[in-house]
Amino acid sequence: MKPTTQNPELISALVDGQLAGEDVASVLAACEADAQALASWNSYHLIGDVLRSPGLALHGADPAFVVRLRARLGQEPAPDARSAAAVAVPALPASLPTVQDRPLAGAGREASNDGSFRWKLVAGFVSLAAVVAVAWNAGSGVLSPPAAPQLAGSDASRQVLVMSEQGPVMRDARMQELLAEHKQFGGTSALQMPSGFLRNATFEASQAERR
Amino acid sequence: MDLLSTMNLKLFRCAALVGCALSATNYIAAQTPAQTQAPAPAAAAQAGEPKNISEWLTRMHEASRNRSYIGTFVVSSGGVMSSAKIWHVCDGTQQIERVDTLTGPPRSTFRHNDQVVTFMPEHKLVRAEKRESLGLFPELLKSAGGHIGDFYQARQEGRERVAGVDTDVIALLPKDNMRFGYRVWAEQKKGLVVKLQTLDTDGKVLEQAAFSELQFDVPVKVEKLVQMMNKVDGYRVEKPELVKTTASAEGWALKKPVAGFQPMSCHKRPRAAQPGDAPMQWVFSDGLASVSIFVEPFDAQRHLKESRMAMGATQSLTRRMETWWLTVIGEAPMATLGQFADGLERKK
Repeated sequence: MKPTTQNPELISALVDGQLAGEDVASVLAACEADAQALASWNSYHLIGDVLRSPGLALHGADPAFVVRLRARLGQEPAPDARSAAAVAVPALPASLPTVQDRPLAGAGREASNDGSFRWKLVAGFVSLAAVVAVAWNAGSGVLSPPAAPQLAGSDASRQVLVMSEQGPVMRDARMQELLAEHKQFGGTSALQMPSGFLRNATFEASQAERR
Repeated sequence: MDLLSTMNLKLFRCAALVGCALSATNYIAAQTPAQTQAPAPAAAAQAGEPKNISEWLTRMHEASRNRSYIGTFVVSSGGVMSSAKIWHVCDGTQQIERVDTLTGPPRSTFRHNDQVVTFMPEHKLVRAEKRESLGLFPELLKSAGGHIGDFYQARQEGRERVAGVDTDVIALLPKDNMRFGYRVWAEQKKGLVVKLQTLDTDGKVLEQAAFSELQFDVPVKVEKLVQMMNKVDGYRVEKPELVKTTASAEGWALKKPVAGFQPMSCHKRPRAAQPGDAPMQWVFSDGLASVSIFVEPFDAQRHLKESRMAMGATQSLTRRMETWWLTVIGEAPMATLGQFADGLERKK
């Protein structure tokens, strides 16, 4: 049997499906023999669940542990330089808001850890499957989306979620482009100068987020 | 990996937006009694007050060229709320405007007459373009000689206070069911539009844009904003390329005109990604509403299914036509877009 100090790594690898052959057998044996190993096994699964979906973590897990875990994750350095992008806006006048950090009305509806921006980034790294599944569910109730077959392929990046009165709708990125072009050059209206331009600059720019 | 985190963030933001939209809806609900009350009966038209639709539109347009202000502008469309801070300065001969989004990604859009520059700080990118449509106003009214008046009529509906400003409420109502109607709240003093609703053929509000707060005659100088607009150091400047053309040169025609809509312009946008057949955009307007027809070669990979979609006042329709793919987008009822799609014909 391997020394117990190695067990945590091995158990972690097993959870991730990276062990094979003898190693699997030895780790399973360790779990049987050692209460500590079994606890690690459970913890690693919990960690995986927390990363995949905060909702999963709340079932039968120790809430205090989950809270501590999230706090620690929040302190981890963000693995993506993108997080720094929202901060520096030197070339523009001082009053330009850094919107990404702005608390939104209705923020209470979000997960309690939502204040931690980095947490989202960490979560973002974990599971393509989870993200696609959510996007898929969001769309399928509304449309029989023409977009659906594309989701499976690399074309997934072309799909965007658009909020509408009917709920989220899957929309093709190309369609968003044409919409923007219609607004820019098709804005031929006598109401364009008084308010159409303001309307487009306010609304279309916000929609660019989902482009 | 980059893509994954971006997608995930999008979802979080969508959730946040839902929350935002919901609370905004409540806000509107709270405001509703004031808005739906029958407006105070219109005072007997005073001498010199505009009476027909062209006079109202001219007055509104003049006000946008003579009024300086700072305000917060809120657009609600298709269940989504967006807002922006606006600076608008003019000195009689030129006007300049700055729009900073308060929702979504940070964007600063500057407009100096018909030059439009959009700053996207997170991408260190600036998009600079000339928007000829912005200069079209007087022609839209003049060329057709009361053309707008053939398809819409103006009706004064009373007076209301919006964003601390006393306004006239004017309904611009379509005379047929081919187009949407509008309700405009115009400042009484000069006629600046402070609120605008787009109404469907049943009179239901599809979209609303309004100032929530407005201050007139603020001490901001045109030069100051021009200076900011030109300060693109550290940004990559992108100028979308646009090639003017005509529908007939591209081999397209409308079998039958769509009532009230006249062709305004036609152009192509060459794309680096797809050399050769650039999509064509053919723009129509009835003076208040506009419709774009986009035509591009059919691509079985991308053009999977014909669709019809609505978001706020903007409707869209896609359709395959032999070896072509049509997309019709406009602030007009779906049936009207359908007439455009049905009427398009290949001439080559």
